Amino acid sequence: MSSNSHDTSTPGKRHKQESPANHYYSYILSILLTILAFAVVIYGGLDRSFILVFIVSLAIVQALVQLLFWMHAKERGHLFPLMFIGGGAIIALTGVAAAVYWTWW
Amino acid sequence: MAHSHTVKRYSGLMDWLTTVDHKKIGILYLLAGGFFFLVGGVEAILIRLQLLYPDQSLFVGDTFNQLTTMHGTTMIFFAAMPLIFGFMNAVVPLQIGARDVAFPFVNALGFWLFFAGGVLMNTSWFLGGAPDAGWTGYAPLSTIADNAGNFHGTDFYVLGLQIAGIGTLIGGINFLVTIINMRAPGMTYMRMPMFTWTAFITSAMIVLAFPAITVALVELMFDRIFGGAFFDAARGGNNVLWEHLFWIFGHPEVYILILPGFGIISEVVATFSKKRLFGYSSMVFASVLIGFLGFMVWIHHMFTTGMGPVANSIFAIATMAIAVPTGVKIFNWLFTLWGGQIRFTTANLFATAFIPTFVMGGTTGVMLAVPAADFQYHDTYFVVAHFHYVIVGGIVLSLFAGLFYWWPKMFGTMLSEKLGKWQFWFFFIGFHMTFFPQHFLGLMGMPRRVFTYLPGQGLEEGNFISTIGAGLMGIGTIILLINIIATSTKKVTAPADPWDARTLEWTIPSPAPEYNFKQTPLVRGLDALWKEKMEGKKEMTPAEPLGSIHMPSPSILPLVMSVGLFIAGFGFMYRHYLISGIGIGITLICMFLRSVYDDHGWHIEPEELKDKGVKA
Amino acid sequence: MSSHPTGALPAHPETATLEGKNKVMGFWLFLGAEVVLFGCLFATYIALRNHVTDGPTAEEIFKLKTVGWSTFILLTSSLTSVLAIIAMHKHKLGQLLFWLLITVLFGLSFLGLEIFEFNEYVKEGHKFVSSAFGTSFYTLVGFHGAHVAFGVTWITLLILQGLRKGLTVVTAPKFYVASLYWHFVDLVWVFIFTVVYLMGKVGH
Repeated sequence: MSSNSHDTSTPGKRHKQESPANHYYSYILSILLTILAFAVVIYGGLDRSFILVFIVSLAIVQALVQLLFWMHAKERGHLFPLMFIGGGAIIALTGVAAAVYWTWW
Repeated sequence: MAHSHTVKRYSGLMDWLTTVDHKKIGILYLLAGGFFFLVGGVEAILIRLQLLYPDQSLFVGDTFNQLTTMHGTTMIFFAAMPLIFGFMNAVVPLQIGARDVAFPFVNALGFWLFFAGGVLMNTSWFLGGAPDAGWTGYAPLSTIADNAGNFHGTDFYVLGLQIAGIGTLIGGINFLVTIINMRAPGMTYMRMPMFTWTAFITSAMIVLAFPAITVALVELMFDRIFGGAFFDAARGGNNVLWEHLFWIFGHPEVYILILPGFGIISEVVATFSKKRLFGYSSMVFASVLIGFLGFMVWIHHMFTTGMGPVANSIFAIATMAIAVPTGVKIFNWLFTLWGGQIRFTTANLFATAFIPTFVMGGTTGVMLAVPAADFQYHDTYFVVAHFHYVIVGGIVLSLFAGLFYWWPKMFGTMLSEKLGKWQFWFFFIGFHMTFFPQHFLGLMGMPRRVFTYLPGQGLEEGNFISTIGAGLMGIGTIILLINIIATSTKKVTAPADPWDARTLEWTIPSPAPEYNFKQTPLVRGLDALWKEKMEGKKEMTPAEPLGSIHMPSPSILPLVMSVGLFIAGFGFMYRHYLISGIGIGITLICMFLRSVYDDHGWHIEPEELKDKGVKA
Repeated sequence: MSSHPTGALPAHPETATLEGKNKVMGFWLFLGAEVVLFGCLFATYIALRNHVTDGPTAEEIFKLKTVGWSTFILLTSSLTSVLAIIAMHKHKLGQLLFWLLITVLFGLSFLGLEIFEFNEYVKEGHKFVSSAFGTSFYTLVGFHGAHVAFGVTWITLLILQGLRKGLTVVTAPKFYVASLYWHFVDLVWVFIFTVVYLMGKVGH
């Protein structure tokens, strides 16, 4: 794999110039998802459990958008980062499961 | 090539206080961990002395609770974890052909933070009493706090463990990045030695498990010090929550403890059977599976809290499932030994003794995994017997094996095999004498954490034998100390490869030179050194030309940062928040200095490399 | 031996050196740990959020309008930190530092708004010591706020460092890692406004 000595730049490598367009789309999408979540809660009318599942799903989608686009996690070389964020999320979920199902008074 | 800045080199004590060299940090971890092992050992002897006969009053009541709490906490967090980090530091960079870890400064910081936490917790003995709520610190016992300063011990537990835990977390991140980014050319993941693999998985577990105890300790601290209501039932708090948070950390923690031990056994058994490890791929897969499943079983510590049969069953099955990859490993070690040219050096004595002992501990674990049965075993000496079999019979035996195996590489001398064998037999026989009877004491109803027992209940013989056994373990430990002292005075130098071994750390001189590898080696297969040996070569082929070697600069900042948090800890414990502010301020200023003043390091030039036989 | 940067910066200066690669990878792993940390704080909050004893409930006390503004501010600051990194990849130091400054200003506004919000809650009887709900609310949202405060301080110091040292293969990883941190902090906020405030308003 990589050598141990300092590995200076490879000026010959061409990188696709990243356009800010994708990032602006992500921003607008995030705003829309946020407004949608707020609206569903403020204007109510729907079944309570449905609202809960819906807003949490919206949050997960928004989080993924920010993770993959703004944090560049969908680009090359991000396997370990994604494994650890994903692994952390799984453990966080087990913690939440413990709080919801296996805690009582 | 002229240096454009002055090279800061220290000697003597300052060298050790400012070092960022993983080899020295490894030795610091072994020294500190060894010291706390002795402290925990003394606590154990005192416990066993009190339990030698029924109705004794040597150490009773709260004193006894302090002894059991500190024995457990010290042994797990300040002895076993640091000793493991000691070997990881000493060995992993060498096994992957690297010159240091990814973050040498952070490596030093991790050590000093652990040390600060360990010292802080142990000052409690002199400051009104040690923590006494068990190493598991269950609420609401652990939330008892008052303004008069009684029940103060648990504050030391909270802050000491928190500070040490931060050190462990950053250490875990360090080893992960090192192994991901800094392997020598040709060393793919499936060509890494097993000790490096287990270090890798352990580090991943540390990164994902330690935040849970961080949160648990923060919540306990907020309840105790700031009047929070996390665990105060009267204000809506919940104590089962503490158990969940603690064990979501605590169960992976015990796999964090044992996996490196498994790694050491794999190295030692293969080397001293003169055979490659049987079933390498399945070993890797099994270790990864153990790491993952370790996070899915924590409720087996809570079977009796009343969660009901569904929850209990799910976790019972998950717990039993872990026995499967563990069994794969056991068989692989046995198949490695089978048909090999076995040499029973002290290291291999400890390694082969580990195998049946750990299996015994593992099988009682499967017994405990049955919830209905666990209602009988829970909180009895049966559990105590189980975990000592896996921790002492598991991790401690493998740490002793590792010590004898890697001592020449770390110090350039050899520990006495004769004294080693005496140590082994005293410790091994003493161990079984101490803990085997405890299974039966538990089955006969003796509860845990009790400071005495009545006569005429059938508990006398077991306790008596158990205490004698503890004495034998103590003698074994003393023999080890004598061995270490004798070796330091004798100066018998060790060759680069005293065991005719298989992995990269044995290709460089003993002790390892400051820069590890003159030239980064080219790895052509699993058991990189053995592959070269089998082709008649004496050395590794280098992967780069000789050049000047960049070394990181030493720094006093890690020590100062740890002292800052130590001071902050005292501020919080004694409710003097100005002191806390000052302590945290010191730490933050050091972080600022580290960020602003870039470390350019220094260089070792090819002319300075003392060894002969340099390849161009 | 590693040469000093010759002149032309590489396209991704933050991972051009081994040191940079290590820093970026190490920081991602740290973020993995932070996911578990906040996950446990969320788990605690979810368990305790309805245990209010005599104090006000979430439904009664939360001010969604303030939270809406905070969310918008933080989300926009996350965008500006992305723009900063795009400028960095174009090697435009001035633009990089400008967008980072905007990020800091938005971050400070977020904090100001949060302090105002907490102040109102305390006046209305929702305190840290009131109940398990109170303790877990202030701990979770407070930890997030502390992360914002740390980030604001960190990025400010980096702006000053950037002015002094410029954009090099040594400073680039620092900017990149701080930007990852800032995104993460916004990511956590997405879950806070959903699980704490919106779920709170949906009721018991």
